[in-house]
Amino acid sequence: MADSTKIETPARTVETVTFTINGRTATVAKGTTVLQAAHGLGITIPSFCWHPKLKPVGACRMCYVEIEKMPKLQVSCATEVTNGMVVFTESDKVKQGRRAIIEFTLLNHPLDCPTCDKGGECDLQNLTFAHGYDDSRFAFQKLRKIEAGVPSTFDDIKIGPEIVLNRNRCILCYKCVRANKEAFGEYDLGAFERGNHTEINAAPGQQVDNPFSGNLVEICPVGALTNTDWRYKIRVWLTDQKASICPFTSSGTNIQFYVERHKNRIFRTTGRRNDAIDDGWLSDVTRYGYQIIQSPDRLKTPLIKKNGKQVPATWDEALAVAAARLTEIRDKKGCVCVGGLASPSLDNASLYTFNKFMRVAMESNNVDYRTEYRRLPSSLDNPYDIAASQAFTIADIDESDVIVVIGSDLVREHPNEYLRVRKAEQFNRSKVFLLNPLSTKPSDVAALELVHKPGAEEIAISAICLAAMESGWASGVNADDLKSKTGFKKAADAAGACGLDLIEIQAVARAIAEGKKITIIAGELVTRSREREAIGAALCNLNRVFGVDGKGQMAILARHANSVGAARLGLTPDLGAGFAGALKSIWGQYPETPPQNTDAMLAAARKEELDAMILVGVNPVMIYPDREFAREALDKLDFLIACDLFETETTQLADVVLPLAGWAEYRGEYFNLEGRLQSAEPGIAPLNEARPAHQILESLAEQCGSPLFAGMDQRNAEMEKILKVDIRRPWPTGLIEVKPQPQETAPERTVALIMGDDPHHSGYLTEKAPSLVGFCGEAYAELSPELAAKLKVGAGDSVRLEAATGKIIVPVRVSEHIDNDVVFVPRNFMAAPVNSLVSRKQRVDWVKISKVSD
Amino acid sequence: MILTAESIKQIKESAARYPHRKSAILPAITIAYRQVGHLNDDIYREISKIINIPQSEIAEAATFYTLFPKQPVGKYLIQVCHNISCALMGADSLVEYLEHKLAIKKGETTKDNLFTLISVECLGSCATAPMMQINQDFHENLTPAKVDKILADLKAKG
Ligand code: SF4
Ligand code: FES
Repeated sequence: MADSTKIETPARTVETVTFTINGRTATVAKGTTVLQAAHGLGITIPSFCWHPKLKPVGACRMCYVEIEKMPKLQVSCATEVTNGMVVFTESDKVKQGRRAIIEFTLLNHPLDCPTCDKGGECDLQNLTFAHGYDDSRFAFQKLRKIEAGVPSTFDDIKIGPEIVLNRNRCILCYKCVRANKEAFGEYDLGAFERGNHTEINAAPGQQVDNPFSGNLVEICPVGALTNTDWRYKIRVWLTDQKASICPFTSSGTNIQFYVERHKNRIFRTTGRRNDAIDDGWLSDVTRYGYQIIQSPDRLKTPLIKKNGKQVPATWDEALAVAAARLTEIRDKKGCVCVGGLASPSLDNASLYTFNKFMRVAMESNNVDYRTEYRRLPSSLDNPYDIAASQAFTIADIDESDVIVVIGSDLVREHPNEYLRVRKAEQFNRSKVFLLNPLSTKPSDVAALELVHKPGAEEIAISAICLAAMESGWASGVNADDLKSKTGFKKAADAAGACGLDLIEIQAVARAIAEGKKITIIAGELVTRSREREAIGAALCNLNRVFGVDGKGQMAILARHANSVGAARLGLTPDLGAGFAGALKSIWGQYPETPPQNTDAMLAAARKEELDAMILVGVNPVMIYPDREFAREALDKLDFLIACDLFETETTQLADVVLPLAGWAEYRGEYFNLEGRLQSAEPGIAPLNEARPAHQILESLAEQCGSPLFAGMDQRNAEMEKILKVDIRRPWPTGLIEVKPQPQETAPERTVALIMGDDPHHSGYLTEKAPSLVGFCGEAYAELSPELAAKLKVGAGDSVRLEAATGKIIVPVRVSEHIDNDVVFVPRNFMAAPVNSLVSRKQRVDWVKISKVSD
Repeated sequence: MILTAESIKQIKESAARYPHRKSAILPAITIAYRQVGHLNDDIYREISKIINIPQSEIAEAATFYTLFPKQPVGKYLIQVCHNISCALMGADSLVEYLEHKLAIKKGETTKDNLFTLISVECLGSCATAPMMQINQDFHENLTPAKVDKILADLKAKG
């Protein structure tokens, strides 16, 4: 959130060097390359292989400059500025050098610009016009790489679900391979053979399908890599660019849509590099996710249930029915009868309007945005929310010498921060520690990966605290107090209880104690746990023991595009006296009714103590951690309004369904996980009859006889006031007691189910993006080779996963990176509802697993 | 598994000698080549598992070096230098002569799996052109008579 707790670093003295470039004298930090220095001074140097986020290689020679006292032209991207250096970037010698390089680069490059998709945004095309000859002296046959047996007009080969490669166009800048390895840690693409036979290609027997593969296309300077999403659909100069924000993750990755106005259509998404957030890299979910907006499956019109069947209706009809029923139920005596859930991916205006709609128009405190978590804390003053409200700065990950990830499968939850952690290790040699119930992706760069027993997060954290105390690293903490608060006498006992080696625990403790700048990230495996409060308490103690807040940052990261906005705009039921008071003074009223969170609302609905609910962009049947519970509850309601982009299991239960506009269809503002406020321009006008959530809620309130705002200005002014309320909670100054509820024992012959997002999906909507389905189109059970062997299953087989609450059948994926007693299943696929295996009461979801023999 | 226990042991031993795992790639592919006589994707995969380096990185290094054949070759791999000095001294007719004697075309292997004939870039023996390398040995200042003798000797050895 705001920067107030950011640590002060003493002003570093940067060594500088002074040089002359094109007659101008300038001073830059030592270590700056000539190319970077020139760019900083507004002098452009053409380049192909240089990329601001990769190590220089000097492969293309396009960036030649003349440097006095050096006999030959030098590559500016790999030459550091030194004192007294005299550089020329536009001398005749340089110009001649550039021309020669272009001539060489075009040696084997086909002249197929008219049919090449890169035309209009091709670096080679542009630089040839700017610096090349209009003729070539190489009058011989060009080398042509053709895949034997693959008929293709333009020698294209498909190397991944989305990527098409034309090796003839490749100018061997190696940017794709370098980004893949250096930035993403992926090895599904390589440069093979040598000399002018060198070619970029997929690794033997593999596909280029890593979760960041779309970036390779974006950084290719020519048309060698293109993606099926965009190719041959439109020319780039016919599109406008609209600045937007990614709605699938919480970093607020900066993106832009390429839009054809007259067609009201988005053609692609690319990055809009923001070094504070994303370094210009997009995950594939961020890149291809826009497709859901233009899915033919979008809800076309409002629907009203008539005689048990949903039939199309006009907006006027639907709003009239909804308002009539809601007012009737609201005004019923003796109960608090309306509840509402909104998606934390909605924009600020929609979330705030929802809050006011519920509390003012519906006179109810039954408001929540947390639909996918179990055992929600009732008020905000609990250790979980304390740890979740801490300030966090994404870019600070880069400079942290010690990074600890706790309870987060980073690449699936926070792809941006995942890349940051990799970058810190690759470029700054940071030490990375992973503490999870399963092996997770950045393990290849981890100094140590600790895989603890499922459901033992807080014990593992307590073990680290105890180990620090035993080694004398926990100054100012009373040993007996720590022992009694954690419930363990010795670090060794705690380590044993969570299935870890004491030596490994000590290594983490030592690293945190000795680290100069620390980043500790906790994630969804904490938030989704029934024991989130106990884990939160352990994190508070971790902060206390090591003084993390004095030398770095620690937070449980928000997961959704606007989770932070939802919290700050008051979308939790019980806001506490201060926050509620602030709202009351703005609104002139505030409901007196008892606040109910998601759990309580659904439980009340099941008991028929809640009559109506309004759901905005949420699908509890699919994401609530107890499918049947949620389904039954919603089914028992007298009246259900569901606003969504698509028909879902939840909208099917609704009496009124309202088509919701997606984030790409209207202007919205979002807080990212750092609390950074960013705004997203609309890419296109709403399709069909969809409307933004805030507009729907305002119309509904009006029809219910309680209009919310006199106009947009009033709404914005109110929001501004509310955002002044500080919901951050300071770290506790003493130790707090870690007391989880007793753990149920694992039933015989079961494994622990861990659910999360597939790296190519996010939530329940991305199944509507064809490109993402191309990467992964169905659910699977990821299991270890050993477990697979035990079950006698392999690739191509399916397994049945069973729990008391339900069962699903999914194909098997064998992975070296998962342990024998856990199974991972993605939660993104409607056909395999994994939340039907989950119970809201349990800490660990134990499932029986067996082979499906056909 | 293609690699033998002995090769795997050698690869592990050589890998242990380097501070950076990547440095072990070249020794590993050399050991595999010595055992198998050529390299291919399956071998890269096996090496990748042994030294814990992605398969694509092994393949990148291996394909960069033309010295490692990428498909099965005969017992004797004949590499004729076709670079400038040897070309001036008659490398082309040397290749033709070998093609005639072995009854194969350049790039092919004899039916008895004894000889494979290819031409390569400079082998660094310009002063003794024309020349060829058979397995690890240089044969220099070649004439048809010398070639006849070399081939006859190898055939006799089998
Ligand atoms: S495919 Fe594109 S990015 Fe990759 S090396 Fe070739 S030109 Fe560069
Ligand atoms: S940009 Fe400097 S060599 Fe390519």
